[in-house]
Amino acid sequence: MLRNTAIIGCGQTKHTSKRRDVSVAELVAEATYAALEDAGITMKDVGCVVSGNMQGFGGVAQPDLWIGDWMGCPGKPAIRIATGGTTGGSVAHGALYAVASGMFDLAIGVAWEKHSDSKEAGATTGLMHVGMANLFHALPYGLSLKNLIATTAVGAAAGVAVYQARFYMHRSGATIEHLDMVAAKDRRNAAKNIYAHLQWPNCQPEDIAKTEMIAYPFRYGHVCPASDGASCIVVASEKLAKKLCKQPAWLLGLASYSDEENQLQSENYGGVGVLDPCEQMGARISAKKAYSMAGITDPQKEIDLAEIYQPFPSQEMFFAERLGLFDDGTAWRYLEKGETDINGSLPTDLSGGVNATNAIGSSALQRVLECALQIQGKAGEHQASRKVRKAIAHGWGGVTNYITVTVLGDTPR
Amino acid sequence: MTKKVAIIGYAQSNHQAEVQKTREDLVFDVAREALKNAGILREDLGTVITSSTDFLDGRTISNVFLSMAVGAYLKDESKVEEDGTNALYYAMMKLMAGAYEIALVEAHTIGWTFNPHQVWLYTLDPLVDRQIGVLDDIAAAALQARAYMDKYGVSEKDLAQVAVKSLSDAAKNPCAHRKMPKVNVGQVLSSRKYYDPLTELMISPVSDGCAIVILASEEKAKQVCEQPVWIEGIGTCQDDYLRDRNLLSLNSLKKAAKAAYRMAKVKNPLKEINVAEVSARFAHEELMIYEALGLCRDGEGKDLLAKGVTKKSGKLPVNPSGGALAADPICATGLIRVIEAAKQIRGEANGYQVPKVKRALAHGQFGICAQKNTVIILGGGK
Repeated sequence: MLRNTAIIGCGQTKHTSKRRDVSVAELVAEATYAALEDAGITMKDVGCVVSGNMQGFGGVAQPDLWIGDWMGCPGKPAIRIATGGTTGGSVAHGALYAVASGMFDLAIGVAWEKHSDSKEAGATTGLMHVGMANLFHALPYGLSLKNLIATTAVGAAAGVAVYQARFYMHRSGATIEHLDMVAAKDRRNAAKNIYAHLQWPNCQPEDIAKTEMIAYPFRYGHVCPASDGASCIVVASEKLAKKLCKQPAWLLGLASYSDEENQLQSENYGGVGVLDPCEQMGARISAKKAYSMAGITDPQKEIDLAEIYQPFPSQEMFFAERLGLFDDGTAWRYLEKGETDINGSLPTDLSGGVNATNAIGSSALQRVLECALQIQGKAGEHQASRKVRKAIAHGWGGVTNYITVTVLGDTPR
Repeated sequence: MTKKVAIIGYAQSNHQAEVQKTREDLVFDVAREALKNAGILREDLGTVITSSTDFLDGRTISNVFLSMAVGAYLKDESKVEEDGTNALYYAMMKLMAGAYEIALVEAHTIGWTFNPHQVWLYTLDPLVDRQIGVLDDIAAAALQARAYMDKYGVSEKDLAQVAVKSLSDAAKNPCAHRKMPKVNVGQVLSSRKYYDPLTELMISPVSDGCAIVILASEEKAKQVCEQPVWIEGIGTCQDDYLRDRNLLSLNSLKKAAKAAYRMAKVKNPLKEINVAEVSARFAHEELMIYEALGLCRDGEGKDLLAKGVTKKSGKLPVNPSGGALAADPICATGLIRVIEAAKQIRGEANGYQVPKVKRALAHGQFGICAQKNTVIILGGGK
């Protein structure tokens, strides 16, 4: 199947709520050139640039056309991939496929988000047009304003995730205290990751429990931030990876299967099939495909570490189950035992994950990047205690229906 | 090139203004037709790559609502946010990597969702160029056209000739949007002037449309398709941002063409290619595209046109379908060129068929003044 391909360099920026010291273009350059330096190559060596951020965010349409100059696009094949929340994972897949296909020997995948830009007057105007066009698009078909507002409201991530969390808690027996435990773990881990946004050393579940309730079952302390940040991976063919890198993170498997969108209403023109938003058929099938590519038959034994896309703590639990890392409905038992901690049997989101750092377009790429760092042994203070041989990176987006799964390993297939 | 990839089926909509369908319905109808054309079922698809932009679609993460319509339900999928030819490029990578056997590539734009020329404004540097507020895609193209005309002695009439060729050829193409069988130079020149020297008929119309191409790996193509059209070469390239670019030649197209020719082992395109379908959104671009594709030297595009080399009965017909000046559903435009080129190879272009086509070229572009370009060389037989 795929020819052997590996990640040989990683770069990311410090994440904060407002990176006022740089423009979005400079932010992207910061991550890109950090990755090139990490891989020990220059932009001249790069054959293909795959990039993306969340569509419309920052108020710029097709920002690669403008920002391309800051990430080495001119004179090169460059592809923009944007799939919403999964953008970063899709960008990683694009860069990995560029090399795995034999078309290129070196490719980079760049993803970013600068949320603070969206408050700029110009940027907001850009987004307004998207919103207004929604309206213009819907009205000729006799869609009522009520339905339209319902669609738009459900589109917000927290709105969907609340329902999703309730479904999961009902099905598995997990409680709000488990959500506190996940959030506390992620903030603790983030404190060891110098690039992470919400850092809270020694954060305990009781600390999270003291924060204000936003929408049951989510407290303020459960919810991810909006961050400014960018990340970049360098992908190389087997020959170059062995030449340039002591410990490459090898691609073992990847897949991105989509389910039907979950609209949580039946009157709309959209999805009516998926009633339980934590079922996540797309995640199950993606994981199955990626494991079969990787030759993994028992993920519960073979996977050493997971980076799960979890803007909300409930997602860390049920996605681990859907990816086959725990049996359905049991993740919270392992959480109670501390198995997902830094010294546990399945360390999960040691970077702090999306719950601590969320520059949307870049978030799913960061999961891949963090798995690569762990396999390379370069994660620094948040390096797992156990040796990481195989790791899984996950991305989630769309209207609860998009998934990216990437499995990396310390030896080629 | 390690693995070969072929086109095994395709379909496109009737491009028009204000199509009275939802985006989902439009795409669904074309997807069904494309599967039928390829003689396969939805179940046979391995991966699906769509291409459109949220700004043009007028809705956030617009691909979410297309998954079902395009047949991606419980399939591997992704979205390229630019021209459909780049979606094809990505799909081809997935097939070449051996991850999947059959890929569906979809591209669409419903131009009337809102004014696409305004969307181009939002692709500009938001800190400087957008704030100045004088540039959009037409204004920038007009500046480019004027600079090109001044440098190489090209007249407004030459530009009008391009439009006449495209719009009259489009009359035979049932899918084209702007069909004008009896259009003449005077009519083009006297149509409404947007930005000097560009008049309405020199600018592509705002169209609604969708195009779908189904690709397969070599083994699969031979197994399921009687007349596969092979992708012999492909190249893509991005240019500098508008501010830093020399607008007098399409440098990224030159590089993309070079890469595609190298892959397809084409040495002399004028001799070895039998028909070309190019995405010229403005009349002057077609002349610049001739030059960048290596059909003639810089500045000689107008001579190539005047000699009739690129007309339907010429040595290398360009855009016998009418091209982008006759229908421009933005993201789909490049993929429509691929379909038209494949039709010429298969001998399916009823009414505008070029005789004896063995090798065809398709071109897609994206960005103001064609910042990104993709060139695809198609071949039949074998």
